Amino acid sequence: MRILAIALLAGLAQPALSQGAPPGAWSCTGCHGPHSGTTMDLRTRSAEDIDAALAAFRAGTRPATVMDRIARGFTLDESRAIAQWIADHARRE
Amino acid sequence: MRGASDTMPLTRRRMVSAGGAALALPFLGRGAQARGSGRVVVVGGGFGGATAARFLAAFGHQVTLVERQPTYWTCPFSNTVLAGLNRMEAIAFGYGGVRAAGVTVLQDDAQGIDPERREVRRAGGPAIPYDRLLLSPGIELRYDALPGYDQAAAEVMPHAWIAGAQTRLLRRQLEAMEDGGTVAIAVPDNPFRCPPGPYERASLIAHYLKAEKPSSKILILDAKDAFSKRPLFEEAWAALYPDMIEWVPVSSGGKVVEVDPATMTLRTDFAEHRVAVANVIPPQRAGAIAETAGVADATGWCPVDPETFESALVPGIHVIGDACLAGAMPKSAFAANAQAKVVAGTIDALLRGEAPGPAKLINTCYSLAAPDHAFNVAGVYEAVDGALAQIEGAGGTSPVGAPADIRAREAEYARAWYATITGEVFG
Amino acid sequence: MVAMVNIPETVTAGTVVEVKILISHPMETGFRTGPDGTLVPRNIIPEFRCLYGGEEVFRAEIFPAVAANPFLSFFLRAEQTAEVELLWTDEAGQEHSEARLLTVQ
Repeated sequence: MRILAIALLAGLAQPALSQGAPPGAWSCTGCHGPHSGTTMDLRTRSAEDIDAALAAFRAGTRPATVMDRIARGFTLDESRAIAQWIADHARRE
Repeated sequence: MRGASDTMPLTRRRMVSAGGAALALPFLGRGAQARGSGRVVVVGGGFGGATAARFLAAFGHQVTLVERQPTYWTCPFSNTVLAGLNRMEAIAFGYGGVRAAGVTVLQDDAQGIDPERREVRRAGGPAIPYDRLLLSPGIELRYDALPGYDQAAAEVMPHAWIAGAQTRLLRRQLEAMEDGGTVAIAVPDNPFRCPPGPYERASLIAHYLKAEKPSSKILILDAKDAFSKRPLFEEAWAALYPDMIEWVPVSSGGKVVEVDPATMTLRTDFAEHRVAVANVIPPQRAGAIAETAGVADATGWCPVDPETFESALVPGIHVIGDACLAGAMPKSAFAANAQAKVVAGTIDALLRGEAPGPAKLINTCYSLAAPDHAFNVAGVYEAVDGALAQIEGAGGTSPVGAPADIRAREAEYARAWYATITGEVFG
Repeated sequence: MVAMVNIPETVTAGTVVEVKILISHPMETGFRTGPDGTLVPRNIIPEFRCLYGGEEVFRAEIFPAVAANPFLSFFLRAEQTAEVELLWTDEAGQEHSEARLLTVQ
């Protein structure tokens, strides 16, 4: 199933994730929805882009107003899974 | 089934037929698995309830949302209405988008819960059966907690802490006030809805007064000695509204112990303040249905499991948003919306006989000190020893001393956040 | 150390009046760690007294469980015009007192 496919892609082994969302992912859409404007709109970003951005936010090497403090709440694996999930779900047909 | 799903991802057309207007939900599009068939009743159509209802419907469940009002006025950005920056319409939302997502919206009053028969009793029709019940009832103002402050008093000294008519009333009073008047804001002790809200309110009222009634003052009478984002607010007040806002903490006698609407007087243990406009924010508890349902404890709030948000007192009932005791997570609209999505997934899993997955939650909360001056507090949370705890090393506030262009950019982000989240909640 | 005091100024004989006092004091328990990582030494107000016309009418023992900025309120019967004195000393040796004249008509 698709959910399983996403989970495997992300290197996760949890079959019963909340509708396929890795921990924390649902919170992202409160700001990063389709109408949120340029910097917050993630529809055109790839999983690699988002993952790299989260890593840079976590390391403090990318300027931030809030994402640095949020990214530090997630492990490398967690933010990679979130990046994959966002990329898979944010792109619209 | 597995083979079919693997080779044929859900198409737009299939999603629409399977999950109602699932595509109207951001991020739900291709990934949602509309395969549930449970009956879920959601009580309360705010940031928590409306979000959960839409997502559960998209997951394929039969969802009924019970909400008293045909229009919801958001507390977020209601302070901009008080400042004259927005009209009431800007913070008003109907339930058309929730209905379009496939939710049955009943404009009705949920009057009681029968957990044995799993039914919600309501004023305007037969009881509604449920497999899972989600309560997102927001807050009830405690009219028994502050001597002199009852519902009649609130028509003279508005709380404006549930947005709507009260917001309009307080705005009118501010407009009618003469230059040189004092606006008092009485703030309760924790916990209460929107911890930084009173201070954002003071800021935005100051923004209005500075332009229109510059000799006026704002007096914050506080039942606490600390408040959310205090260094950031105090920095903004010193820069933007010097000598206009006075904050009196409890250790300086700030706690209001009695009010008299007839003389517009607020009494503390040590002083009496006669003011032109009194915004009295009284102590609060979970929305009334929580007590009726037996999910509120002696504090008036609802203890819940930190991962599933299932009531610690009554099984089968989930409680989210301001009404629940969510450990370190504050009572904010962002938190209610984030909790709603996690709980929608949890309820979906439970109804399909699966164990819910692990959860993490984020809160982000912007405060506007002026239209072009905002800052935020954020936190990341997970369940630790039975309570939601903030993950160490993450979270915190915007830095003190940031340049004006950063504050202005944060104000843009705050507006973008509002547009995004209300889109996700109400469609 | 400062305090806010609320005692009625003038009452009729026999009136029971409420005395309220809010003392600004950290009430350090001795268990709290300061910014430098070391324990902040204990410093509470162990005892509080009230004299009315020179006679002790109220005394409170205070323990570390009492939060910072203790608020006390108690009642006394106004019998004669006299000074109400509020006295306390903290464990760092800081003495403090507040006095108000209570006029009885």
